[in-house]
Amino acid sequence: MSTGVGQRETASRQAADARRENRAARSAGRQRLMTVIVYVALIVIASIYIYPFLVNLATSLKSEPEAAASPIALIPYNWTTEAYQNLFTRSDFPLWFRNSVFVTLVVTVGRVFVNSLAGYALARLQFRGRAAVFAFLVAVMAVPGVVLLIPRFLVLNQIGLYDTFAGMMIPLMADAAGIFIMKNFFESIPRSVEEAARIDGAGHFRTYWSIVLPMATPALITLVILSFNGSWNELSHFIVASQDPQLVTLTKGVAQLASGGLGQGSQYPLKLGAAAIMTIPVAVMFFIFQKRIINVTAGAVKE
Amino acid sequence: MRRNARSTVLTTLIASGALALTACGGGSSFDEEPTGDATSGGDSGDPGAPLTVLIGSSGDAETDAVTAAVAAWSEESGVEARAQAASDLNQELAQGFAAGNPPDIFYTSTDLIAGYVAAGSLYPYGDQLTNVDDVYPALIDTFTIDDQLYCAPTNFSTLALVINTDSWAAAGLTDADIPTDWESLAAAAQALTTDQQVGLSFGPEYQRIGAFMAEAGGAIIGEDGTTAVVDSPENLEALTFVKEMLANDTLKYPSEIGAGWGGEAFGSGGAAMTVEGNWINGALQNDFPDISYEVVEMPEGSAGKGTMLYTNCWGIAQDSQNKEGAVSLVEHLTSKDVQVALLEAYGVMPSVQSARDDFFEVYPEQGAFLEGGEYGVGLPTVQGANDVIADFNGQLEGLETTDPQTILSSVQTNMQALLDSQG
Amino acid sequence: MSNGSSAPARTSPVRSQRKPSRGSGIRGHEAAAGWLFISPMIVILGLFLVIPILMAAWVSVSDWSGRGSPLASTVGFVGAEHYGELTLGGGLATQDFGTALRNNAWYVLLVVPTQTVLSLFLATLVNRQVLKGRGFFRTAFFFPSVTSSVAITVLFLFLFSASGAVNAALARLSINGPNWFSDSRGVVHILLGAVGVDQAPGFLTANGFMALSWWQWLSGPSVAMSVFIIMAIFTTSGTFMLLFIAALQAVSGEVEEAALVDGCSGWQRFWFVTLPMVRPTIFTVFTLGLIGCWQVFDQIYTGTQGGPAKTTLTPAYLSYQASFESAQWGRGAAVAFILFGIIVVMTVIQRLVLRERDTVPKRKRFVFSERSGESGTRPGAQL
Repeated sequence: MSTGVGQRETASRQAADARRENRAARSAGRQRLMTVIVYVALIVIASIYIYPFLVNLATSLKSEPEAAASPIALIPYNWTTEAYQNLFTRSDFPLWFRNSVFVTLVVTVGRVFVNSLAGYALARLQFRGRAAVFAFLVAVMAVPGVVLLIPRFLVLNQIGLYDTFAGMMIPLMADAAGIFIMKNFFESIPRSVEEAARIDGAGHFRTYWSIVLPMATPALITLVILSFNGSWNELSHFIVASQDPQLVTLTKGVAQLASGGLGQGSQYPLKLGAAAIMTIPVAVMFFIFQKRIINVTAGAVKE
Repeated sequence: MRRNARSTVLTTLIASGALALTACGGGSSFDEEPTGDATSGGDSGDPGAPLTVLIGSSGDAETDAVTAAVAAWSEESGVEARAQAASDLNQELAQGFAAGNPPDIFYTSTDLIAGYVAAGSLYPYGDQLTNVDDVYPALIDTFTIDDQLYCAPTNFSTLALVINTDSWAAAGLTDADIPTDWESLAAAAQALTTDQQVGLSFGPEYQRIGAFMAEAGGAIIGEDGTTAVVDSPENLEALTFVKEMLANDTLKYPSEIGAGWGGEAFGSGGAAMTVEGNWINGALQNDFPDISYEVVEMPEGSAGKGTMLYTNCWGIAQDSQNKEGAVSLVEHLTSKDVQVALLEAYGVMPSVQSARDDFFEVYPEQGAFLEGGEYGVGLPTVQGANDVIADFNGQLEGLETTDPQTILSSVQTNMQALLDSQG
Repeated sequence: MSNGSSAPARTSPVRSQRKPSRGSGIRGHEAAAGWLFISPMIVILGLFLVIPILMAAWVSVSDWSGRGSPLASTVGFVGAEHYGELTLGGGLATQDFGTALRNNAWYVLLVVPTQTVLSLFLATLVNRQVLKGRGFFRTAFFFPSVTSSVAITVLFLFLFSASGAVNAALARLSINGPNWFSDSRGVVHILLGAVGVDQAPGFLTANGFMALSWWQWLSGPSVAMSVFIIMAIFTTSGTFMLLFIAALQAVSGEVEEAALVDGCSGWQRFWFVTLPMVRPTIFTVFTLGLIGCWQVFDQIYTGTQGGPAKTTLTPAYLSYQASFESAQWGRGAAVAFILFGIIVVMTVIQRLVLRERDTVPKRKRFVFSERSGESGTRPGAQL
């Protein structure tokens, strides 16, 4: 505590403090710079990601000559709903939309039913061959969809479901991923609930339907979202499952439009209008259920 | 034990149920053997069954005209019949044949008929037609395979040079400058090329460039029918000429000027001239009515005149439930009156010689198309040729940057291999 | 059993002992119920997955002409004829298949690494704690993945058309953009041309594989295919970004702090600490990317149908085209199975590679590591 040594110590400590403060200040400054850079990078990249959809919307509201003349502009010079009018009157777009809605609803309901039944059986019911079925499901997930294009067509022919709504919908109703989601969820429900029900005399189906299923709402919602997206956006199966113009869905119809369906001109506003309307339902679903979709996508791989 | 037995029983039930489901639905077609023999009267099915007609349409004009003709027959005969334009004719036919449920009547093109006949998908009804003598002999020959006429030709078209008369006049050209040979064609294209418009445009495919090949004296298959003659100096001359025009920018493919086909390039004003067939009349009338144009014969090459000839026929499916009705409908569709109606709708030339004068009545200035019928060359009819042609077309898309000799050699190899496998 | 605890019920030996005592009273008919419940799934998957595969296998070794049933007695067995035609025949079939393989191989080569790197990059950016609006950016990057491939293809057909938005933007920078979807020149050829290599060297054109010369194999993706590559990266980077975010968040904060305390710079921290810990996810993303890229079909069907000059032809589209357009069902089925084989082989290789570099369980990471070269940290360092 003598002044000489103490002063030296204080001085060196102060110097060290000052150095540390400088370093901290510099690194804080560097950190702030990094943050700014990161923000700028993110904004630029996000703009690149968002811009095409804005152009999509904008172009669908332009007239054809304007779309060709000023493709980048986000605000049309002359707003016009000509493209949408043409879409609804000169093509079968309303029919396609109705078909897509019908198919998607039925497939979603069917999938929820089939997958939750199977998931419950795999999670909670003991039966011989359960392990084999499980292994079968894992193998199923390995088959790439594209290999099934031709064969499914052949089978639909043989069964007589070709060119029918049933042929378009039934093959989409079972998918291994959905079964796994339901199975994992059911396994997390305490057995006490089921046992209580069973003691009360409920059969297996009652237990499943009235007790366990209502508790599985989160997983069900996930399944609904995945099915909705999957069947709304499905293309290759619909190509091979039917050829009747009355059975065309949005994806197939818009794909036909894109490869030159309506004859004259490139008609970009019309095609982009179709693409925009096609995207709206999935976009709405996405924005409502964002968090859930993001959690599922991230977690689905950790199975 | 009880549970195991029960579960085994259940498994067996479910499995057999699944198999039964498979067998049931396909039971009728399991052992179906395609009836290859050509007895016409035998199994014509139910004369009252509804008929479907599937066409590969060139546009609304064609679809409407055919629909009207089919509806007229339907009313008269009392048999329900419906015409439909396919979005992809080949695919829908393939699916229909595989399903055992193809349309009753459909456009059959020259390049695919051999395949359909080999698979037994077509019903040969040529001997039942009453107006065979009136049809141009060349068309009958095209659809006669193994001495059997399989189907009635619908109509035919040829390629000609279509010129935008306004651009022609604006470039200061006169009737004397109308191209009669390759040099004058190149000169005219040069004169017509401006910043907003290219002189000439046509699709990068054998179906157009083949005209030039014919004019130079080249061909795809030799006279004997078993040798490929794609790789010849004549064809090389033709491809080199086209490549030169591409290099000068006096010729551009429609995709380069934002059009889907030559007719669109021409109608939208992107090109002053195009090489197209009769169907362009319908397209221009419907979609680009403001263009005034004239039609002249293709210019002559070193071997004289040459053009491409296109024809279809009304194929009747072997699997049709109502062959009798189908033949009757086809007779109606190939009758002189109906053919003239189709002619008026979208410009294709009737297959019957008696309608020749009618053509001149409707399109007095388009004699060029009709003349082309004399010397036009058709697509090869060998089974599998369409794949070779498709590959040829793919290579022609890159003609501007590729050596024509390379293209011809590769097509030669493919074509020869195909011919060898047939023999 | 009446206390409701589920723990004992999990181990099977205990369970099977309990079963006879419960008899048919409560857990009776369980097997029957079990099979009944899974029967819809079994029927659908069996009918529309197993049987189709078997049927396609038969078609690929038969001479079925496309008419009637492939199981009819008139359809003959031709063995490996179709497979031979596709791989060794040397004719047009081999050429088409070789072209399709080449196109898809370049597509995979360019899409998979790029989308992995890009999604990891986006994930690290979006994952920073101090970021406001994280949710907005996550949404923006993930949205394209939700849309239909048809809608996106139509959109890109417009953006990359000859007079579309991309060319207009390039024009502002005085660059003359190519006619994207009609340009069949290979990108590698263009780059080589830019440095003066205009003609193919002799030895590359003289020899080849599967009816394509080596020069053609090395042509790179065509300009048209490059648009599809950009489209693929655009639509899938969002999904993989989410996977990486989840993985990054699983990297414990303590680990990062420890690395910071040890004096690692930001880059070192990322490369030597974070990256090894998300390695499993990187492999997952790689595998998913591989499997997905080899199956590209929807975009080709909607957009270019294999053109220009067959440079956007892929095996999946070729399979469809051969069967449904040219009625060559045997060949189409054979292409599908070869493709299946390729995907399975790739997946197996991926799995093998993944298993070699086993992930060290979390608790072991805080123990002295003898493999000093593994993660680059000094031996003995506590991670």
